[in-house]
Amino acid sequence: MTGREDAVLTLSEVHKSYRAPGLFGTAVIPALRGVSFELVRGEVAGLLGLNGAGKTTIMKLATGLLFPGSGSISVFGMPPSDMRAKKRVGYLPELPYFYPASTAAESLRYYAGLSGLGGAELDRRVSEVIEKVGLSPHARKKASEFSKGMMQRLGIAQAVVHDPDLLILDEPVSGLDPLAIHDIRVLISELNGSGKTVFLSSHSISELEKLSGRVFIMVQGALVRTVERREWESSSGGLEGIFVNTVKGGGPGGA
Amino acid sequence: MSHLLTALKVAGHSFAENYRSRFFALFLVFAGVLIYSSLLAGVMAVDEEARVITDFGLALMELITLAYALMASASAITREMETKTIYLVLSRPVSRPAYLAGRAAALYAVLASMLAVMALIHLSLLWVRGLAPAPMYLKAVAFIWCKLAVITSAALFISLFSTSAVSTVVIAAILWTLGHFTAEARFLASRSTGAAAVLLSTASLVIPDLQLFNARDLASSVPAPAGPAFLAAYLLLWLVVPYLFSLLLFRKKEF
Repeated sequence: MTGREDAVLTLSEVHKSYRAPGLFGTAVIPALRGVSFELVRGEVAGLLGLNGAGKTTIMKLATGLLFPGSGSISVFGMPPSDMRAKKRVGYLPELPYFYPASTAAESLRYYAGLSGLGGAELDRRVSEVIEKVGLSPHARKKASEFSKGMMQRLGIAQAVVHDPDLLILDEPVSGLDPLAIHDIRVLISELNGSGKTVFLSSHSISELEKLSGRVFIMVQGALVRTVERREWESSSGGLEGIFVNTVKGGGPGGA
Repeated sequence: MSHLLTALKVAGHSFAENYRSRFFALFLVFAGVLIYSSLLAGVMAVDEEARVITDFGLALMELITLAYALMASASAITREMETKTIYLVLSRPVSRPAYLAGRAAALYAVLASMLAVMALIHLSLLWVRGLAPAPMYLKAVAFIWCKLAVITSAALFISLFSTSAVSTVVIAAILWTLGHFTAEARFLASRSTGAAAVLLSTASLVIPDLQLFNARDLASSVPAPAGPAFLAAYLLLWLVVPYLFSLLLFRKKEF
């Protein structure tokens, strides 16, 4: 894959397998099979796939939490483990968890500090972000007192507190109530409006349809189709129809 | 941001987390009760009251802090992996060596503060009874910390390949026990031949000699088995080597 100047995230022929130790030896389970794609600056791209399709694996590879078996990944032209690349990435894992005894503000201060913020800038960003995600009334509450929706809001807050250029959001609206979904959708749109690149995965086709300019459909670890917004907008079944046809059309090589 | 600064931030947060845990508070209350119970032993000792209260109190302090050290170090990293809070740390510009160093430094600091609090309780008990602490008292407390720091480093390393926190605690506790018989292992190795000699020599090399940090032994041995410079170097070696081995395992660990 040739790299574009405005490429933010590039995966090139990435393979990844997990090893599952068993009674009669170790089984090798392929998670990604030669995945290649590129995200460019300022776009919102979605990852769509069934459970176990490899969405979370891609996101963890892009944040340096996993290492590829083969192929290459670059974030802003650097390896994902490069500290300069990490400084420009905000990551929301699926079902984020926080230190139960820390308050929302304390957690955010810690993460902002680890991302290189300090002094007055840290205070300002933490206050701003708490306000933005609607956690102001709960800033002094401990994470152990938080509901799932509040955890998710705090998760978004820690992902954006250091003002990253690339946001990687794994299931950002998973299990949230409609109001929280709406708020997070508005927040993602605002972030994209301010020039951030957003890469998100979701089981919710309608969410991806509303937010994304492009959607990558994953089947059994392979990227089987890339769908542009105009395609699903002009298709009678929308993105859902395209997704169902693609998945039913077969696994890797089938579509 | 330098690795040192990052390590300090991780250490600061980890230190605070330890203090906030109810487990920690429970330990301190338990320690206070046990140390005051040494009063009974002192009363029974009649003429040797000061010595018995001192020895009994120091032994209890060591055992209580050891129990906390083993449990805290066995779960320091594995718990972050289980709860996935580590995702939010290592997806940021936090190098793995800095993260490991921060977690270890926090444990050393927590143990030092625990010992300081317990020593204060113990000294107050001696003061209330109108007894003077032994001249080697502070040295003994410092040496307890040295032993604990060594076993904490080893337990952190063990926790990275151990299958559970319980097995880490068990292995580290065995190491702690054997560490008090390293001199005997060396002696037996010098008197043995063949495989037994090799086994004992190897054991005396890979198991830390914790008896070196026994203040009473050092004070009563003429000539002293080890000078301050040797002890400092030995402590540093046993902090650095397990850290480097931990780093080897942690460097490519996937989350």
